[in-house]
Amino acid sequence: MMGAAALALTAALFHVFNHALFKSLLFFGAGAVLGSTGERDMERLGGLIHRMPRTALAFLIGSAAISALPPFNGFVSEWLTFQAILLSPALPQWLLKFLVPAVGALLALSAALAAACFVKAFGITFLGRPRTTLAREAVETDRWSLAAMLAFAALCLLAGILPGYFIDALAPVTQALTGASLPRQEQLDWLTIVPIAQSRSSYNGLLLFFFIVLSAGIGAEVIHRFASASSRRSAAWDCGFPDPSPATQYTAGSFSQPIRRVFGSVVFRASEEVHLPPPGDARPARLQVRLRDVPWDTLYLPVARLVGFAADRLNRLQFLTIRGYLTLVFGALVALLMVLTVWQ
Amino acid sequence: MILDLLVQLGEMMVVLLFAPLLTGYVRKVKAHLVGRRGPPLLQSYRDLLRLLRKEVVLAHSASWVFRITPYIVFAATWVAAALVPTFATGLFVSYAADMIAIVALLGSARFMLALAGLDVGTSFGGIGSSREMMIASLAEPAMLMVVFTVALLAGSTQLSSIAVFMQGPDVGLRVSLALALIALVMVAIAENARIPVDNPATHLELTMVHEAMILEYSGRHLAMIELASSVKLLLYVSVIGCVFAPWGIAVSGQGLAAYLAGLAVYLVKLAVGGFLLAVFETAIAKMRVFRVSDFLGAALMLGVLATLLLFVSRVA
Repeated sequence: MMGAAALALTAALFHVFNHALFKSLLFFGAGAVLGSTGERDMERLGGLIHRMPRTALAFLIGSAAISALPPFNGFVSEWLTFQAILLSPALPQWLLKFLVPAVGALLALSAALAAACFVKAFGITFLGRPRTTLAREAVETDRWSLAAMLAFAALCLLAGILPGYFIDALAPVTQALTGASLPRQEQLDWLTIVPIAQSRSSYNGLLLFFFIVLSAGIGAEVIHRFASASSRRSAAWDCGFPDPSPATQYTAGSFSQPIRRVFGSVVFRASEEVHLPPPGDARPARLQVRLRDVPWDTLYLPVARLVGFAADRLNRLQFLTIRGYLTLVFGALVALLMVLTVWQ
Repeated sequence: MILDLLVQLGEMMVVLLFAPLLTGYVRKVKAHLVGRRGPPLLQSYRDLLRLLRKEVVLAHSASWVFRITPYIVFAATWVAAALVPTFATGLFVSYAADMIAIVALLGSARFMLALAGLDVGTSFGGIGSSREMMIASLAEPAMLMVVFTVALLAGSTQLSSIAVFMQGPDVGLRVSLALALIALVMVAIAENARIPVDNPATHLELTMVHEAMILEYSGRHLAMIELASSVKLLLYVSVIGCVFAPWGIAVSGQGLAAYLAGLAVYLVKLAVGGFLLAVFETAIAKMRVFRVSDFLGAALMLGVLATLLLFVSRVA
């Protein structure tokens, strides 16, 4: 079991490290967009890839990494976590036996939802056509910010294709906390990572990356040798009826509508209402979406209400006379001393 | 070592060469089942060649994401397919990535394709991307649960080891495996945009998902994406064959005869898989898009159940 504990802890720590990399990168990207357009609402952006190509590249790499897609780093820590989960039928506790596969399923679900989320975040903000003049007139961010983002993007790729070195660096921590650590990874052939045994599971990000690049290269080479190289710019096809207005694009709200309907009705109590004016009335139709955050409503809000209620009642103590304050201080002193006597 | 490399290269070529044939075969069988003659078997190859000769028409608003996506999608799908033991195990790169990585590679391809759907900024591309991600948000976890089930039984996530284990005597009939097989077939249907989830033959229905996403593509870009879709279909049939019908896969180190026999058996498996798919597609009607979540939710629950059964039934 020590090996499993070491694997799980390594996966967790490596994921924390990876998260620090891609989350910082994505926040930098969001900051660059905010600085360049002064806008935080995705629905008012779009098409920024043409104005800010380098920021877009860095943000794309961050999005792929956070969505746990190979060959980036998020996938490696997710993979290690799955390997740890697959070791857990051997656990002696029954509660954990039930809990761990459920957690595994939720992790798989959240990775897929993260991918959907970042297709939306990148796609609506950077792709498509600009939705406002702010987005149309955006400029690329400064060189220092770009350098920071691209450095993080490079680290995301590096930790994804050479994870062995990073895992080895975590070994002292897992050794100290669990009394075991994963086998040394850097001496393995071809920089493969093998958490338990070669026959069980192994992953080689470098080889995978190399093969993807090679296959893409072969594909591109064959295409350029044998296929027609001519290309031409034209209006979008859109099934024959393209509308020049950028408002006809998919928005962030419409992109997430299917997922909202599948998951949101249970988790967020999402409800949609369509207000259609009667025939002959020229007012626009309105679609209203209501979302409720259930944990917020049931867990946090009662506590917040209680604190507010108590604060309101105690507020009166702020406006006492000097005589009243002295009585209060004396009373508090007597009460505390009595508590102390009773305590002992 | 050299032999493994040769087998690996052979495998990559087999996957690439037979993928359009499988697509054409499924179309042909479907046409026969509804009493039409259907296009010739080699029509998919002709379509690809014709697309290669055509000019690419790019929308004014298309960015570099739109232009690199076909190559990335093709490469990721091809590499994923090359990692599946089709006619022989012991592939050269099989230790580089396991079944989880194959699922994730297909995820990378889908991620890029969904972005390309949003790139031009049309409503059709958006609707396709949005629905594709909704389908993927259920299909991918369901697929991973199938992987978990099989991996827990075989004690490995490597497809080569799984295939060897499944050929061995320790498997037996298991409820978990049956549940996993059903879940995997459901996921395969959804992921390959087949009926009842999506319809690969329509172009202008509002029910379409995959075809809407790639609507703006033309010429050589479209050829790459079409080829990648064919390879993906072949990949899923191969995975089902390799895990649930592993007979006849040549094991590393056997002679040339074993490899040829493996190849012949593999082609039979493809034919059977394609035939069953065509029969299923003809027998069933297309679903409303919001019923797809029930369909895939069932697949996910079957997968979770299969995994949970193994967690509970195995005594440490």
